[in-house]
Amino acid sequence: MSIDVKGLVHVYHPGTPLETKALDGVTFRAEKGSWLAVVGHTGSGKSTLAQHLNGLLLPTEGSVTVDGIEVRRGEGSLRKVRQKVGLVFQYPEQQLFEETVFKEVSFGPRNWGVPTDTLNERVEEALGLVGIGSDLFEASPLRLSGGEKRRVAIASVLSSGPDYLVLDEPTAGLDSPGRRQLLDLLSNLKALGRGIIHITHDMELALGLADVILVLDEGRSALWGRPDIILGELLERDVRGLVIPDMVRFAGRLRELGYDVPLTWEPSVLAEAIDRSHER
Amino acid sequence: MRFLNNMTLGQYVPVESLVHGLDPRCKIVGVLFCLVGVFMVRGPIGFLMWGLLFLALVSASRVPARLVLSTVRPVWILVVFTAVIHLFFTSGEPLFSWGVIEITREGAVMAARMGLRLVLLVMYAGLLTLTTSPTELADGLENLFSPLRRFGFPAHELAMMMTIALRFIPTLLNETERIMKAQIARGAELERGGPLKRLRAFIPVLVPLFVIVFQRADDLATAMEARNYTGGEGRSRMYPLKWSVRDSAALVFSVIFCFAAVLLDGRVLLP
Repeated sequence: MSIDVKGLVHVYHPGTPLETKALDGVTFRAEKGSWLAVVGHTGSGKSTLAQHLNGLLLPTEGSVTVDGIEVRRGEGSLRKVRQKVGLVFQYPEQQLFEETVFKEVSFGPRNWGVPTDTLNERVEEALGLVGIGSDLFEASPLRLSGGEKRRVAIASVLSSGPDYLVLDEPTAGLDSPGRRQLLDLLSNLKALGRGIIHITHDMELALGLADVILVLDEGRSALWGRPDIILGELLERDVRGLVIPDMVRFAGRLRELGYDVPLTWEPSVLAEAIDRSHER
Repeated sequence: MRFLNNMTLGQYVPVESLVHGLDPRCKIVGVLFCLVGVFMVRGPIGFLMWGLLFLALVSASRVPARLVLSTVRPVWILVVFTAVIHLFFTSGEPLFSWGVIEITREGAVMAARMGLRLVLLVMYAGLLTLTTSPTELADGLENLFSPLRRFGFPAHELAMMMTIALRFIPTLLNETERIMKAQIARGAELERGGPLKRLRAFIPVLVPLFVIVFQRADDLATAMEARNYTGGEGRSRMYPLKWSVRDSAALVFSVIFCFAAVLLDGRVLLP
């Protein structure tokens, strides 16, 4: 079970002076129960890619297939795909509109025609996952704090029961506890078997959390692979707008000075390696 | 999938031309004369004259004819409706009748007259916005209304509001598209069903949009105040308006043309 993207090309405003190629032959696979980070500079096509994964945009060329269903017009393909792939836009709290948190989170499942008896269960489960207590169920979503709003918005996507969750810069604008909480939630969802597709410009975050990383540059897939492999590639050549994390540069410098340490982005791993080389 | 891409707003065509170069105040007042003139002529000579003047202005303005014609698109239903009403409900000498439907000679003339008037009206006004940037337009209006300030008329504030409103239209269209997509991703059906159902389906788009608009308005007000904006009194301009000889000539010409059209038209009166 996976999302398969093959040779995806997207052209905005074709045939007009505004014509721009946002994606140019992107190929990768996102698997269930796995965390894929899509990393790239501003304007690299990350957000366009996100909208392709659940059929808000349709390929100009190439294909997107979700669990065997091709994303295209007709035969209810788009509806099926949108139920399978939840999309959390940047600043999702701006989409909140209902009178209460509970109604807000039930908006999705009601649209998909989930019967009333299972609806409440789904909504409570989704709100439980994001850590919103029942005391807030009847509160107005517009009166919550920033972090709470963000979590309610994510719950409103989770309540549709998607197998994959695409998040566009989900940590933007959150304070660091809020950020930690959100990333823990995503790890948790991954452990529950959902596929996480995390769109971010932050290489450090991607290296630390993802199982697989896709690096976009000017709409092309520049790199695709496991974090350690991506890191090795990044040290070999520059990809526009991507910064090698300080920790990795530190490890690299130590290696140059003759320490036997791995190239790592994790402080604890590096600390242990330094400690070991001291003992020797 | 395309949502709001087809909408064209802020029609200004930024090219250099004789018409573009005129002072906005001259163009606004000139267009007013033209509009009054268009409503004062009744016969073919008058309409022909206004039509020819329009063609001359369009070619002088270097705006593509396709864009000028497209200004009529939003109001063509109104034009057709007005013409049809006049066609069927004007009494007089019958030309044609079929059952209860009767078309009179006067009706046909009135229909053509009203239709032409509306089309010319919209196109003249359209040419003004095609050749004058929104900022120029607002500056011109502010300047024209400024004598009314001593009676408490908020000329500067109105012009500022207009400029800000125009400035934010593209931003709000972007926001609308983003919210629409977010709701569609959550399974909202925005494009199905009858008008009432569609209107209801738009609530999930409208509520967040309102929240964003108020938020933005608040932010903008704070940002303006932080930069010491206090309104019209004593405020200088980045591009001061300049009235030249050409503007006076254009204005005098439009007044003379207006009188000429009405006078010549009056000599060839239709019954």
